[in-house]
Order: sequence, then C-alpha cells, then structure tokens
Amino acid sequence: MNLLNLKLRPEERAALNLRNLYEACGYSFYRMSRFEEYDFYADKKDFLTSKRILTFTDINGKLMALRPDVTLSIIKHVRLQDGQVKNSDGVQKFYYDEKVYRVPKNADSFREISQAGVECVGRLSDENICEVLELALKSLETVADGRNFVLDIANAGLIAELLDESKNKSEILKCIAAKNIHGLKTLNAPEKIINLLESGEFDEETAKIINSLKNYKDKIKIDYSAVSNLNYYNGLVFRGFIEGVPESILSGGQYDGLLKLMGKKNSRAVGFAVYLDLVRSEKND
Amino acid sequence: MINIALPKGRLGEKVYKLFASAGYEFPGILDKGRRLVFENEKLNMRCFWVKPFDVPVYVERGTADIGAAGKDILLERNPDVYELLDLKAGFCRMAVAAKNDFHEDSEKILRVATEFPNIARNYYAGLGREIDVIPLRGSLELAPVLGLSDVIVDIVETGTTLRENNLSVINFIADLSARLIANKSAYKFKGEIINEIIKKLS
Repeated sequence: MNLLNLKLRPEERAALNLRNLYEACGYSFYRMSRFEEYDFYADKKDFLTSKRILTFTDINGKLMALRPDVTLSIIKHVRLQDGQVKNSDGVQKFYYDEKVYRVPKNADSFREISQAGVECVGRLSDENICEVLELALKSLETVADGRNFVLDIANAGLIAELLDESKNKSEILKCIAAKNIHGLKTLNAPEKIINLLESGEFDEETAKIINSLKNYKDKIKIDYSAVSNLNYYNGLVFRGFIEGVPESILSGGQYDGLLKLMGKKNSRAVGFAVYLDLVRSEKND
Repeated sequence: MINIALPKGRLGEKVYKLFASAGYEFPGILDKGRRLVFENEKLNMRCFWVKPFDVPVYVERGTADIGAAGKDILLERNPDVYELLDLKAGFCRMAVAAKNDFHEDSEKILRVATEFPNIARNYYAGLGREIDVIPLRGSLELAPVLGLSDVIVDIVETGTTLRENNLSVINFIADLSARLIANKSAYKFKGEIINEIIKKLS
C-alpha cells in the first residue's frame, strides 16, 4: 500500500509537515498515553487557556480529566525523568500532535481542538529560545502554504515589571491586548506602556534574539498586544497570524512559572502550539 | 479590499458621516432602502450595515476588517479585537437607575433589569453584590415602575426618559461612545490602509 497516494485533508497534511519539521530539529515525539487526574489540573488553572475541564469518573471512582492541555503533562513527564539519563546540555525537547478538549471563548460547549506544538524545557540558553522562535516561524511558513504570515513578539516580563505597582492591572492588560490607547490613558496606565504599544520598540534582550533570526526579519513584528496573561508567560510571548485566517493560529512563550510551581526551580521552559483546525479557514478576498 | 461593518441606526449614520468627510464615501448608503452592502471600487472598500450588537461578531470573525461599535456593546460582548480609536460620536453613559424614592435593602438579592447582562454582572460582582439579572429588550424604564425590578442598568444620554418616569441615576458605570475596532489578523496584513483610515478619522 502506498501511503503517499492517500488523499490528506489540509489540516492532516499540515500536521504531518509539522511533525517532519520538529523531528528534523531533534525534538522527540510526546504522546499523552492516558488521562490525567482532575486534581493535577485543578491547582494549575493559571496555566490553562480555558478554565473549564471535561471530567469523568474512572472505574476506581477517581475523578479524571479529558486533556484540556498538553504542556502541563509534558512538564510533569519531564519531572518524572529527573535523576535519569538526561541530554548532556540539560535541555529536553518535545513535540506533540494531540486533540485537546476546551470551551473556546464565546462558545457554548466543549470542542475537540487539534493542536501541534513543541516544548523546550531545562537549563535553557538564549540559543534555545531563538531556536524555538525560529521553529515557530518555520511552523507558520509550513502551515501558511504560500500565504503571507507574521509573528508578533513581545516581552511579557517587561509589562509585568511596569505594571507591578498598578492598581487596575487586569483592565490595563485588557487595553494592551486591544491596542486601546485611549483606554490606557483614561486608566492612567504607565506612560512607558503606551510608548511600547505605539512604537513597537523593544528592549536589548529581545533585540538580540530578533537579530539572530535574520532570515525572517520581515516576518517578525514587535507587538505588545501579544501580552494578555501575565500569570502564564513571564518572558517572551509570541503569536502567529496567517493572512486570511481571522484569529491567531500560533501562540506561545516562556513559562518558567509553571516549572517553579511544579518544583523545578532552576529550569526554564518555552514552547508554542499551532491550532490546526484553523489551517483550513476560508481565505478572505 | 477593506470590509467595514457599520451599525444600523442613528449612531451608524453619524459614524458614516465621519467616514464620508474623511474621504471614504459610499454613494447611496444613506438612502432608505433594503440594500445592505455598498462598494466603492475606487477605494477598494466595501461597507455594510449590520445590527449594532452584531458589529463585534463580524469583526472578530474577520468578515469585516474594521467596524464601528458602541463601547456598551464592546463591554457586553468582550470581543477579541483591537479597539483602535475613540470616534467621539454618540457620547452617553452606562449607569444604574432606580425610582426616585428607592432605598436599597442590602439583605435582599437586587433585581436588575437590563439589556446588558454581562455589564450588570461584572459591575455588581466588583461590588460583591448578589443580583438577579432580568434580561429585557427595551423599555427598561417600565421595569422598576411596575415593580419587575429594583433597578435598571442602561444607557443614559440626557436622562429625560428617566425623569419622565420618576427615575434617576444612582450609580455611574462607564463612559460610552463609538469606537473603531479591527480584526486582529486583518490588522497584521492590511495595517497600512487601516492606519491611514484612522489617521483621517481622528
């Protein structure tokens, strides 16, 4: 049987192309082989995109969850391997291609969502972070299939610092995500934040990383509206868009806080997910 | 091609006039008729009328690249869009109103009639007050007068309607006006044109 003659749907082809890409970059495949216990997610809700979890009772009476997320399980998996043979550089790289179960924003029921993505965990260097960013750009290029694409990057750490003293943090964050300058002014948000949003300037750290991605320079934009959740991402955040797809198809960033929460104090993590269901979105005009 | 969603009605006509005086004209759009879509080939733009409440839906889902929506509707629907400009048209306030002789009984659940259940819930959640939302589709003033609700959460422009029904504003919630919103993805790829529109409108 020649598998190459199989007629693949666009999102299936995209998933296979992405797996091929991640495999070639030295990432190992992670398969969520079982359901997690509900308690596992319950105390890590800050790190879930949607707070709603589909649960069921297992035959032994335990409350189980139908995976709302893959990242958490990967991080747990890494912890289980502690003390065992590790890569020499102390960095572990995984990729996945899974279905997750969530209630999308403004939807009225749970949906099955196809997600492919990578997670890079351990004693990360700047090079590791650059590599993941480059992989995000390559993923967008793969999925865009000839369409134009762009990756928005921002430093969530910088916003967190600037907002440290602010009272109405969550309202300011909402305005940042909506590029709502007039709203920020009414809220008396720090001047620096308004400047960052308007100018798309970046700090030295981010500049260094972007300069290393020369091949994709015109595809990267500094855009602070990519920062929306300071509980999850602590460093770089990024969001990918493809022309004609009405919402962001890729989202990711650095999430060292989760590792701290799970008892891995000296580790850092960066990763992203590609929402494969959006691959087939109708092209606009 | 830039697609623009405008809210049917008075506010939309005001906003269209802003567009027209900025050089974005769609001949025939103000005529009374059943046509909903108007194209200006020279500008490579298309403009359409939708129900005011639906503007954020069209923009969030990318059917419209940009749109004009009242802040009330944005607060109620909380769409994931860019809010790029205060169009400074249709100024009014979101407020709580009650009968002139209303005294709140804090031991009872407050009955709130409104067309904006989410705004009402968020406002009272912020105060830690338990409420019973009574969703209505208009003639809100009737609710406290007939005893259907204790208070209403509604848009107040001049306050005349409230006064005529012996009601008055007891709490302020938010300042409202029309806002220019944009689809996040469209802004990435048609940003130059959208920014030009914003510049001319502001």
